[in-house]
Amino acid sequence: MSIDIYWRIGTHGDQPSLRRRLVTRGDWSPVVPGSITPGLREGRPDGYSHLDHMADVARSTELSGFVGGLLPSFPFTDDPWAAAASLARETTTYRFMIAFQPGFLHPVQAARMSASLQRATGGRVVYNIISGGGGPAQLWWGDKVGHDGRYARTSEFLDVLKAVWDGGPVTHRGRFYRVEGAGLPERLAGQPFPEIYFSGSSKAAIEAAGRHADYYLSWLEPFPALAAKFDQVREHSAAIGRSPRFAVRIDVLARETEEEAWAEIRRGWRHVDPEQLRGPESTGDSVGWLRSSQFIDWPVREPRELEASPNVWGGFHLLRGGPAFGLVGSYAQVAARLDELIALGVDAFILAGVPHLEEARRIGENVLPLLRGGRPGTSVPSLETLEAKGSTR
Amino acid sequence: MSAPPRFLLTLPTTGPDTDPAPLPEFVTDTRQGRYGAFDAIGEVGRAAEVVGFDGVVAPFAPDAEEPLVVVAGLLRRNRWIHGVAGLHPGIGTPVYAAKLSASLQRFTGDRFGWWPVVDLPPATARAHGDFLEGPDRYARADEFLTIAKGVWEHEDFTYEGMFFQVLAGGFQGPLAGRRFPAVHLSGVSADALELSAKHADVHVFDVTDDLDALIADLGGRAAERGRTVAPALRLTVAAREDEDEARAVQNVPEHALTGSFEQVAAELRGYADRGVSTFVLEPPPDVAEIYRLGEQLLPLFVREHAHVD
Repeated sequence: MSIDIYWRIGTHGDQPSLRRRLVTRGDWSPVVPGSITPGLREGRPDGYSHLDHMADVARSTELSGFVGGLLPSFPFTDDPWAAAASLARETTTYRFMIAFQPGFLHPVQAARMSASLQRATGGRVVYNIISGGGGPAQLWWGDKVGHDGRYARTSEFLDVLKAVWDGGPVTHRGRFYRVEGAGLPERLAGQPFPEIYFSGSSKAAIEAAGRHADYYLSWLEPFPALAAKFDQVREHSAAIGRSPRFAVRIDVLARETEEEAWAEIRRGWRHVDPEQLRGPESTGDSVGWLRSSQFIDWPVREPRELEASPNVWGGFHLLRGGPAFGLVGSYAQVAARLDELIALGVDAFILAGVPHLEEARRIGENVLPLLRGGRPGTSVPSLETLEAKGSTR
Repeated sequence: MSAPPRFLLTLPTTGPDTDPAPLPEFVTDTRQGRYGAFDAIGEVGRAAEVVGFDGVVAPFAPDAEEPLVVVAGLLRRNRWIHGVAGLHPGIGTPVYAAKLSASLQRFTGDRFGWWPVVDLPPATARAHGDFLEGPDRYARADEFLTIAKGVWEHEDFTYEGMFFQVLAGGFQGPLAGRRFPAVHLSGVSADALELSAKHADVHVFDVTDDLDALIADLGGRAAERGRTVAPALRLTVAAREDEDEARAVQNVPEHALTGSFEQVAAELRGYADRGVSTFVLEPPPDVAEIYRLGEQLLPLFVREHAHVD
């Protein structure tokens, strides 16, 4: 079975490197000389928007051997549906993995948008179903449903969406949704249903994932913890006769040599706010976030104290927005770690690197060709050795 | 004389797909199934752009291509036309609709518009998850637009409604400060006019409506709120070089404006004099028709404007 490797598109601009938290691509920082999309010509905005940069990343991604990319969705980002619909006809093979929260769209509307996008792209839509991080951000979206309720809603949403997709007319009266005689019109019917990447680390999430996920998607965590999480999902899924595949979202910083890679991290480290080295803070109810902060002995003083196991580094959030864990090392080391994950049962990756445009090329040319498909015998450190090392609690 | 009227074109996005006429098997056919409905829609949108239409409309209809997807793709590949997407206020939350639209305004230079459809037939509404009936539908549409505009225009916006809510919402950074999607609404009931008076930029009437009374009513309601709403008219035209040729056109609906380009222009000017400032032309929008209108009907209005200047 083949491994699907995606490369994320930043939906809120990008930094030119991890060395400084300076966003020059997109307009999330003031548009000044050196800004790109929009840039300045003769002192005036040049008419390009962040979408033009996203288009460049998408094209670089498909040329570099990735199957497509994740388009994330947060209050401060551009919207993935808007970006996918805009870029549908100017890419060729790129699969749009659209992140969305089911609570914000009615399932019939989601079915219609997805079917039209499938028709516009020739079946290149993939879902990244997220059920929300809770806290003030959830209320910002206008959503008051609590943590476990959101996963129940996600389940019901996908039930209705699939039923509408598969034919109809569908009549449904549930806790969150009600429809009567719903279906897709002739012109929208018969498209392939998008693959579902399902995120969430809580018990409620894993239960919902067991029912609906084609791929259970996790942030990178130290490998033994990840393996344990996958086992839990396997167990839940088996109980209802399903067997999801596994996907991991991973930031990578890979260079010709290990020394070069860490030197790059150290250049960024000089600009990290010392306050942040005391430990991460969260305002929501995300279990994934809580988990990832527990693999490190905070506070830390120097970058490699965040290396939970060889090349598995938990400090990416200090150098750019987003999750903590990623891989740092030589091309060969990063490829070897990805192979270990394949050996653990990972079937798909969502890789990312800063800057996304150039790093897509670098990783496509230097790391992906080294993968060996998780050949038998690839060693994986056990949870016990890691605990003995004091890296987990 | 005020500004020349705006011309919008309704896109051919409804009904089942139509396959192109097959070629005889001894003729080389390089298409090989590579093209589909989006190519046909793209061709129409492109034609509207190059011949000078002001915009295109993707209507909400049960048998239609999804309007947001259609309009986003078309605006990306054209420079001038505006795009109006039909939607109904049950598609999701107003915050999400506004968020998606803020990105589209960023991507298109503020060329994206909404046409919320409030008064759907009950069976259609229920098939889309909407079980409200009567005045409640207008109350919900009001809330939908109030919250969407609220998060658009304020950084810290809280609203507890009957149908939707938001707590300390509001766009920040580059998502803030764009133009809110031009709101197109339609309907002739008092509720519909009241909703438009409060929220619409454009209100679309039909040729069979009691136009003078409705435009006056709408204008009065809007003025009470210190607003103006631009009246629009949705119609079909069958215009050719001379009247006989136009009358020979097939499949023209009953109330179509039929005649020479000059005759049709005169009728449109008559509507403009009664206050209509936007015309929404209905099908058949095939490329030949769009080029014909763009080259021969639209210039009659531009020239008139130039003379006034």
